[in-house]
Formats: sequence, C-alpha cells, structure tokens
Amino acid sequence: MGTIAQPVEELRRPNIASADVQLPAVKDYEQVDREIIATLGFTKKWLIGLSVSIAAMLVGASAWIYQIYWGLGQAGYEPPVMWGVYIITFVFWVGIGHAGTLISAILYLFRAGFRTSIYRAAEAMTVFAVMTAGLFPIIHIGRPWKFFWLIPYPNWRLLWPNFKSPLVWDVFAISTYLTISTTFLYIGLIPDLAVLRDRETNPTRKRIYGILSLGWRNSDREWRHFAKAYLFLAAFSTPLVLSVHSVVSFDFAMSLTPGWHASIFPPYFVAGAIFSGFAMVWTIAIPMRKWFKLEHYITLNHLDATAKVVLFTSMVVGCAYMIEFFIAWYSGVRPEQEFFWNRVFGQWWWAAWIMLLCNMALPMSLWSQKLRRNPTWLWFLSIFINIGMWYERFVIVVPSLSHEFEPWQWGSYTPSWVDMSFLVGSFGWFFMWFLLFVKQMPVMAIMELKEIVVPRRKHAVDGGHH
Amino acid sequence: MQGVLGAFHHLDTTVHAIEELKKARLGDVTVFSPTIRHEIDDAIDAPNSVVRRFTLVGALLGVSFGYWISIWTGDYWPLVTGGKAIASWIPYTIIGFEVMVLVGCLSTVAGMFINARIPRLTTTVGYDPRFSGGHFGIFVSCGADKAPQVEALLQKHGADEVRRED
Repeated sequence: MGTIAQPVEELRRPNIASADVQLPAVKDYEQVDREIIATLGFTKKWLIGLSVSIAAMLVGASAWIYQIYWGLGQAGYEPPVMWGVYIITFVFWVGIGHAGTLISAILYLFRAGFRTSIYRAAEAMTVFAVMTAGLFPIIHIGRPWKFFWLIPYPNWRLLWPNFKSPLVWDVFAISTYLTISTTFLYIGLIPDLAVLRDRETNPTRKRIYGILSLGWRNSDREWRHFAKAYLFLAAFSTPLVLSVHSVVSFDFAMSLTPGWHASIFPPYFVAGAIFSGFAMVWTIAIPMRKWFKLEHYITLNHLDATAKVVLFTSMVVGCAYMIEFFIAWYSGVRPEQEFFWNRVFGQWWWAAWIMLLCNMALPMSLWSQKLRRNPTWLWFLSIFINIGMWYERFVIVVPSLSHEFEPWQWGSYTPSWVDMSFLVGSFGWFFMWFLLFVKQMPVMAIMELKEIVVPRRKHAVDGGHH
Repeated sequence: MQGVLGAFHHLDTTVHAIEELKKARLGDVTVFSPTIRHEIDDAIDAPNSVVRRFTLVGALLGVSFGYWISIWTGDYWPLVTGGKAIASWIPYTIIGFEVMVLVGCLSTVAGMFINARIPRLTTTVGYDPRFSGGHFGIFVSCGADKAPQVEALLQKHGADEVRRED
C-alpha cells in the first residue's frame, strides 16, 4: 500500500474481470460512458428490426388464438407422437438461455476476462430466452388458463402436485432459473442505471432511471455489499445453470422410451445448451458490435475465446452422440439398437444428418485460428449451430415417440402451419424483447468495463502516465 | 448531514487522502468511485460484508422448506406404489435444491439492500453525478469546527473541487 509521499506501488488487478482480455482502444472512464450510452440512440435499422420481430411475434400470437378457439388438434400431433414442435422449441429456448448465466456466473467465478464485454447481452438473452421457453409448456397444455394447476398449492380437494413428477421439477427449475437470472441481470444493472441517471438529459427518462437505480451512489459501503452479493449470486447460479438443463433432460430420461432412457442425458443436455447458447450470443453480438461500433470492446480476442468454448462443447456434444450409438450396440437391447439404426437411416435420417453436420462437422472449422477470428464466418456458423441444435431436439423427440417398442404403434408426425407459426412467433417474441432492451439499457456492463480500464493517476506507475 | 466533499480525478491521490483522513480521525469517511477498486478497499479497510450471513440463513431455510413441503404433501395424500417409498429423497432433492437456490439468492439480495441502505429516494447529501463517471469522491462527515482542517487536507492531496455540504 502506498504512503502519502509515494505513489501506490502497483496497480491492483480488477476483482471482477481479469485483465486477460485488454481493451487498448479504451482510454478512460468517460470514454466508456460516452460510447456505451451512445448505443441507446434510436436508429432506422433498429426500428426495422423491431417491426420485423413484432410482425413475427404476431404470427405466433394469431396461431395461439386460432389454437385456443379450435383446440389442440390444430397442432400436428398424430398418435403416438404427442410431443412435437412445442416441446422441441421449449428445450431449444431453455438451451439458448444457458449461455447467459454460464458467461455471467461461471466465467465470473473462473475470472475469465473475455466475459466482460459480452455478459450483459448474454444475460439479457438468457432472461428473454427463458421467457420464450416458458410459453411453450403453457401453449402445449392446450388450455393455458389451467396452467396454475402446476403451481404447488393444494386444490379444493387438498390434493397437491406430485413432487416426484419431472414436470413439477421443471416448474421449480425453470421458474427458479427465470427469477434468479432476472435478479442477477438487474443487480448488475443497478450501478449502470445510476450512470444513465446521472448522464440523462430528458427529465422523464432521468426520473425512470433514478427509480430503477434505487438511489445508488457508488459509495464504498454500496460497492462492498454489492461485490459480496454478486459473488454469492454467481456461486448459486453456477450449480443452478447446470441443474436446470439436467432437470429438462429428466423429462425424457425418466421414461422407458428407446433413445431417452439414458444416464448420459444430463451432461449431454448441459453441454448442448452451452453450445447453442454461445452460438446465439454470436448471432446477437456480432451484428451488435458492428452496428453499435463496438469492435474495440468486443474484440477479435473475445470472439476467439468464445470460439474455443464452442469448439470444446461441440466435441462434448459429438462425443455424447457417439456414446449413444455405442451404448445401444453394447447393451444388446434390440429395440434400442433398432431405434438408433432408424435414427440415421430410417424415416428421419435427414434430420439426424442435419444435426450431425451442423453440430459436429461444421464447428471443426474452429480449429483454424483464422476462422475463429473471422466474425462473418462465426455469424454464419452460429446460424448453422442454431439450426443444428433445433434439429437435435427434433431428433430426440420425434423419432423416439414414433418408433417405440411395438411395431403396430409406430407412426409419423408432420408439423402443421400452427406449429410452425409458433416457432416463427417465438423468434419474434425473443428478438422483440431483446431489441427493446438494447435501446433502454446499456448492452455492456459499464461498471465492469471501467474495472479493466486503467484509472487516471497523478504519479506514474511502471512508466505509464494518464 | 454536515460535512466536506472533495472530488478527485486521480486514483492514487484519492487513496492517499483516504489514508491521511483515517489517521487524522476528523470524521466518518465515505468514498465514492465509478467502479470497484481494490486500492480504495485497502485504504478504507472496512470489515467484511455481512451479506454472507443472509445468504446462509436463506439457503438453509430454502432447502428445509423444499424438503419439508414435498415430504409433508407425500405423507398427507400418499400415492402408494408397491415397493416405492412414499417420501423419496432422490426426487425431493431436486425440489430442495431449487428452493435453496431461490431463497438463498433472494435473501442475498435482501442482505445487500439492507446493508447498502438501498433503495433510497434520493442520492442524499455528499453525492455528485461525476462520481458515476470519471471522478472519485471523498465525503467527510464533520462539524464546522473540523471542516477547515478537512478542506486543507483534501486540497493538499490535489482535489479538483472541495465544498461544504449541509
């Protein structure tokens, strides 16, 4: 510690983000404020994006009204396939919702520096993805006004939900995840909302930011308790994020259906969720860094680091695919072997090969550093991975239900226009919220970016002078 | 609250001013900074946050409630299946875990709010909007008798602005 007459000997490393990924083009705190606040201005491109999203959302909303009026028969269910696009899309969006908490909580605990520039957008993505996912079980039950039956309180006959049911576990896991992700996002936003409050000139917006920032003053007392609370929220969110997709995988793994009843499902689902979530972070962050001129905050080093995570999780997912085939062969169980043969050479072969191509083959391109640092390639790859991961859930749900133990039970499934409208609507709903968010809240954590930036010093440290 | 406020543009001068103010014991010192800085934490040398106690208590209450509600409802209306336990701890662990995380996190937030004294309606005396931007601030709570000494000390350490607050 420095004394009065001498400069502080060394610059202490920030305690939230490590300085592994530096931002050399960011010179001081004021620049961070100026450039991040500048992203809040409305633009024509943003308005077009929002209009397209709302239009897509209305497609889904119209389909829902139609389905409520005509009944669940309008979805393309045909016995024995009574889970279709709704459950596939539910699992898809829950998976997308994993990267946000992974980046903000797990990478925080591991002091991974590359998280700082992308975690706010990823956290917001998590909240909106889980909000989107949560709609699908409600849509799927056909009579959405009966949803409250799943909430654990006794009905008029004092009958409680069955806590041994995976669907009740889902309710607990998803609602806890949504609550904690939203809390985590908001707590991290409080200091940044104070920045907006202090810089805003429009009195109405200033007042709104003032209320949302809860009177935050950046005092040492506030920072001390904030840092500790943030650490504990991260510590809780870490096992939570792993548990949520494990619980979602139990929806399948707890049944005796071929292709589902496997102990590998929880880690396989978690790895797949991280994989797809990071891909969606690219889908969002790569255009965002270009349109908002934030290339010096989300640098090629950041993209390179995320690409390594995607490459690793792609290999984990690929390994899980192969292990499924191995176990089917090794078990000697005929229906299981038949099922997995059918998966790649049967009725749904095309879906399985889309999955293998997008999730296993194309990500191998990331062994090349040149491609890992090519934002255009990463964005296109993210689209392929999103498609591949949706098809992974299709391959898990539909072929298993259509090809169970008894040949006379085997059937088919064709999604109806109502199913596909919900899929389109879910993307519209998600992007509508995200686009609204990016124009009201800072897309990057101002407070944490300032931790990386070297503060001004009167006396030089290691030859530097600011 | 009466006191003297100093606004600084440099981290090192802020740290030195804090250290000397603590030695001089001229009044309670509140430091404002645009972000968390270890140098300031070290200079203030404040006790560890008690938020962790809220976390622990919340998590214990949550996990107890999660197990209790599932075991109690199982016993209240038993779904008897041959060879299966009425209260089965493996599936109930999922409920216990999720409720532990939920209540633990929410009590952590409550602990932060209570100890950081937020939400508050205004930013109160001794705050300047520059402190969320690029400036550091030191507010010393003291009476008019000690104010000149505090002002002199802050100016000596290179404060951009020193002013009295009422």
